Amino acid sequence: MTAVVADPEAEQTPAPLLSRALPVVMRWVGTLAVALVVFSVLLLLKGASPVTAYTGIWESTFLRSRSLQEIVVQMTPLVLGALAVAVPARAGLTNVGGEGQIIMGGVGACGAFLFVGETAAPGLLLVAMLVSAMVAGAVWAGIAAAMRLVAGVNEAISTLLLNFVALDVLLFLIYQPWRESPVGQPATVELVDAAKLPFVAATRINVGIVLALVLAVVVYLALSRTRWGYKISVAGGNAEAARRAGLNVRLLVLSALMIGGALAGIAGMIQFAGVEYKLRPSFGYQLGYTSFLACWLARHQPFPILVAAFVFAALSVSGDSLQLDAGVPAASIHVLTAFILIAVLGFTASRRKAAA
Amino acid sequence: MSVHQSTVRALAVACAALVVAGCTSATEAGSSGDGEPGKDTTTVGFIMVGPKDDFGYNQAVYEGSQAVEAAFPDLEVLTAENVPEDDTAATTMQQMIDEGAELIFATSYGHLDAALSVAEENPDVVVVQQGNTITDDIPENSGTYFGTVYEPMYLAGIAAGTATESDKLGYVYAFPIPQTIANINAFERGAQSVNPDVETITVSTSSWCDPGKQQAAAESLLDEGVDVLTQHQDCTSTVIQAAEKSGAMTVGYHADASEIAPEGWLTGAVWDWGPVYTDIVQTVVDGDFVGSAYNDNFRVGYKTGTNPFVLAPYGPGVSEETITAIETAQEWLGTEEGSPFAGPVLDQDGEVRVEEGGVPTYADNDVMDYFVQGVIGNLAQ
Repeated sequence: MTAVVADPEAEQTPAPLLSRALPVVMRWVGTLAVALVVFSVLLLLKGASPVTAYTGIWESTFLRSRSLQEIVVQMTPLVLGALAVAVPARAGLTNVGGEGQIIMGGVGACGAFLFVGETAAPGLLLVAMLVSAMVAGAVWAGIAAAMRLVAGVNEAISTLLLNFVALDVLLFLIYQPWRESPVGQPATVELVDAAKLPFVAATRINVGIVLALVLAVVVYLALSRTRWGYKISVAGGNAEAARRAGLNVRLLVLSALMIGGALAGIAGMIQFAGVEYKLRPSFGYQLGYTSFLACWLARHQPFPILVAAFVFAALSVSGDSLQLDAGVPAASIHVLTAFILIAVLGFTASRRKAAA
Repeated sequence: MSVHQSTVRALAVACAALVVAGCTSATEAGSSGDGEPGKDTTTVGFIMVGPKDDFGYNQAVYEGSQAVEAAFPDLEVLTAENVPEDDTAATTMQQMIDEGAELIFATSYGHLDAALSVAEENPDVVVVQQGNTITDDIPENSGTYFGTVYEPMYLAGIAAGTATESDKLGYVYAFPIPQTIANINAFERGAQSVNPDVETITVSTSSWCDPGKQQAAAESLLDEGVDVLTQHQDCTSTVIQAAEKSGAMTVGYHADASEIAPEGWLTGAVWDWGPVYTDIVQTVVDGDFVGSAYNDNFRVGYKTGTNPFVLAPYGPGVSEETITAIETAQEWLGTEEGSPFAGPVLDQDGEVRVEEGGVPTYADNDVMDYFVQGVIGNLAQ
């Protein structure tokens, strides 16, 4: 919160918080309402009652403690995955590789766990897993950065394609060297308790969310308050001008993408050590792509990313209710997600146009 | 400006979520087992890994759940599709429990970890899992159930071994788990029983349903000269259509898909889950689950009763003679000395796995970890 108070622009506009926030909230509510109304039509076509569907979602997703906790658990990797898109975006880079970087984060964490072994001091073990995950994610993103710097390969393509390579690396490891047992579905051994992230108070929320919130603040400060943050935005705005101004654009590109990769690696570690406890073939499935959407929804801004991640996590949890209470197919939640995306993006685009 | 507004909003929402989540959890009461988990439950839940209309595994589950609904009109039946094989499965099951379910069918192989964790947290709820095996102690409120899928696959192998002209059969599978390995081996051995030269070439997709990978796998098998394709996938139409398009023959799996392969359809192993599901529900509702056959790794096959896996209708290419051979083999499988793996069984390296005269039990087949001679493929891939 200090970041907000210390913001110079905020001091220029001393209007009361509530009167300033209210119109924004109303606009968001309005936008979401449009998406929900359009979705109602689809529900009606499917023979389901929108009233039943929405009350079902409301009751089972937002009025149940367990569901709320689940939303927080699910939003954690999305926050970090979206920050992993936001940092390179500031340098004008498109990181579509969150999916693979998250997988490599899980792989890095698991590798550290297997290498350090369960005998290490619990805190040390977690730190080793975290560092290893960050390095793995950063290296994976670094490959794409190196390809751009050396061969001029567009990073949007290379990060995307590296996702498939990462999945193959994961499958190789869990099918062969790291496999729990030669029979049964390929998976690694379950983490010992000392290697699992602790929970917050008496909840089922792992401490990953705390790390994610802290890192959102850190990224915000790094982008807006540090010389590095300023430099990468200059390099992202006009690389040629930045070069003539004496900036090391190559180093800035490399650092922005690798820091993004490290953030995604942390997301993978948290998903592994906080939720899954085993690497399975489906590890991290869709987390990177959902994070990518969340980041665009939040227009690459760290704090709005928290809201976007919350929205996507809430949608994911409501998917169950939509099936169980309204009896519509599971895939309909993706339709609702798409409606919300289109509504929000259309809304922000029209605002920008109006402002211009 | 909007940056600060959204900043405040973002933090406020995140904090609120944390606070709400933190506070309300204290009100939850823990429950303890009463020795009759699931008794008189009013609601039953089914989770499926794929869509309920996949021409395959999940459709068979869904049809089974409909049979339960028909048999118990007073029960509410909840179904959830596309539930992945990770921790989110536990969330979905927990949602069902919150809606009153005290009996849950976790129907995909990889749902076992989540099923066991949900069972542990909810001692009053029965969670049964379809197809996997609990290797540790079986909790009072859990168990696994399945049919001996490899028996009908052995019979289908007879049809395939007779029909093939290239002596090459193709098998598209998902994961090298014992259930699948036994299926592939039984299929090859059924084919060998009528055609000693036949071999089965395998390709793994590492996914229960990925039509892109299925298409690629089917095409590479067809390029190898395979003229009968079969599979162990949850959604089956892609492979079947690929076979039909290239004029190859098909042995189906999970569901009768003869309508999409009118020319090449031979037969297939398809599910009829209704009777098993209904019996499990009855056992649980009566309060008799603990200590029952379902509170165990329950397996039913031709030897022990009604196999929930039945043979699909035959296609035009299967002669009366072959049908008679299949019927004879089916009778033999039901006898004491009958088994797709009646010795001698040699593995790919020529090592003897079942001695001459040996008949492995259903439990033995549940831990199968080798391919038999005649199967082409590397298990570790």
